[in-house]
Amino acid sequence: MTQLVQAIILGLLIGGVYALMASGLTLIFGVMQIINIAQGAFLVLVAMLTWWLWQRTGIDPIVASLVTTPLMFGFGWVVYRLLISRIRGSSASMSVLLTFGFALVIEGVLNVVAGNRFRSAAPSYFEESYRVGDISLPKTQVFGFLAAVVVLGVLYFVLTRTWTGRAIRAATQNPSGAALVGVAATGTAALAFAIGSATTGVGGSILSVLYPFFPASHYDWISRLLGIVVLGGMGSLPGALVGAGILGLAETLTATYGSLGWSTLVFYVVIMVVLLIRPQGLFGAKLREDAV
Amino acid sequence: MTVLSMKGVVAGYGGGAVLQGVDLDCAERTVTCIVGPNGAGKSTVLRVISGLLRPSAGEISMDGEAIGGRAPDEVLRRGIAQVPQSHALFPAMSVHENILMGGYLIRKDRRLLRERLDMVRDRVPIVAERAGDSAGNLSGGQRRMVEIARCLMLDPRLILLDEPSLGLDPRSLAGVAALIQELNRAGTTVLLVEQNVRLGLGLATHGVVMEGGRVRLSDTAEKVRDHPEIASLYLGGTTAPSGSTRAPAG
Repeated sequence: MTQLVQAIILGLLIGGVYALMASGLTLIFGVMQIINIAQGAFLVLVAMLTWWLWQRTGIDPIVASLVTTPLMFGFGWVVYRLLISRIRGSSASMSVLLTFGFALVIEGVLNVVAGNRFRSAAPSYFEESYRVGDISLPKTQVFGFLAAVVVLGVLYFVLTRTWTGRAIRAATQNPSGAALVGVAATGTAALAFAIGSATTGVGGSILSVLYPFFPASHYDWISRLLGIVVLGGMGSLPGALVGAGILGLAETLTATYGSLGWSTLVFYVVIMVVLLIRPQGLFGAKLREDAV
Repeated sequence: MTVLSMKGVVAGYGGGAVLQGVDLDCAERTVTCIVGPNGAGKSTVLRVISGLLRPSAGEISMDGEAIGGRAPDEVLRRGIAQVPQSHALFPAMSVHENILMGGYLIRKDRRLLRERLDMVRDRVPIVAERAGDSAGNLSGGQRRMVEIARCLMLDPRLILLDEPSLGLDPRSLAGVAALIQELNRAGTTVLLVEQNVRLGLGLATHGVVMEGGRVRLSDTAEKVRDHPEIASLYLGGTTAPSGSTRAPAG
């Protein structure tokens, strides 16, 4: 029983981190219908930057997200203005090509600058755990989860309680309707892309502590993130939360009761089963058919 | 006094000009209805006024000030609001949030925003009745009412309505027609495009007939309705209004 509770708690902790990582991807898709394949490369870029900051200054890797998050916000804004804005209105497949190309550029630059080897930031509490009865909670996962919850909370607040957030949601659901109430499409899209990129500021910093990474790790990460977003429903933030929770639980439960090697496979089996029943994903839009 | 004026406006979507030199005037407190066959350019006239489409030639002015080619938010600030043919709402947002988004341009003036919200709730009861419901779950008629209510948040001087009767059952249609008449009585100028010629000209004080991207006839709604050619072209020989939807002359 203790083993089951431990596996579920660990699954939810890691699911929270996955949710944060996937939230940016689903936000960007929701607003712009752009599938940002470079989101995984953004995470690895931040992980590398965090590792470098930790090495040079000794700053806590998760605290380093206070530096990496605004940096990634600005980076996302510039990438949108210089690159993504040129394919607005094109098909989603065009965005896949462009952002995949950009991911390769980031990977190449990291290879040249940092070298092709595994790294991992190891703060002082790296191997410590909290004990709650018989349950052991690794501090890195607890801190990563708490950071993810804070960022997701802020994101939720911004999207539902501020005019900026309402404008982003309006542009997500109906771009021409948003234009007719005075929401400037380009500014909103750039903002959404910047916010989506900024989530990798925290996500990448957490990644640097929880997982070893190297420049080509982004393939693995974008696969997981796309899996989460497709399972939850493309463009749905609540969907990303639930999808991430399922991935976290599938991984830890399979690793606990089966073997580590099967843990990712189980998640993709769950995706296939869900999509057979609900092709729009768990939280894909379910409105009157004549509404959209 | 002329609120809106178009002179020689040419516009299209890349595959040639849909509007080929449109001249049109809307006087204050009038309801002008544009009718014409499919492809005549009726909806394009509204899109070019609201800034969703840039004209390639000609002049568009509001109260004497040029607005042709301005972005939609700038046109909105001049007091022109458009309710498109369909799908204007944000389906996953509540009715309240949809209405709130109508006040996006006045969001910094909280007091004004509150006043307008109260005004819209009073004028269009469904806004309060279905406030918490997702806009995507409303019926076609309810959606139309909310779309029109949303554009009232900016208290526009000119409302552009693209086929307000589209897909509505007779009861919803009567509600929408009554709302348009009420808005006009309150002083709002209305320019509407309508396939339902009988209804559109019944509501209107002025009628405009378009064909092939040009204005073919422009007169009082009564004269357009009684024009023998219009009657035979669009109404099977008779243009007498079937209901009591006639709007008061402005």
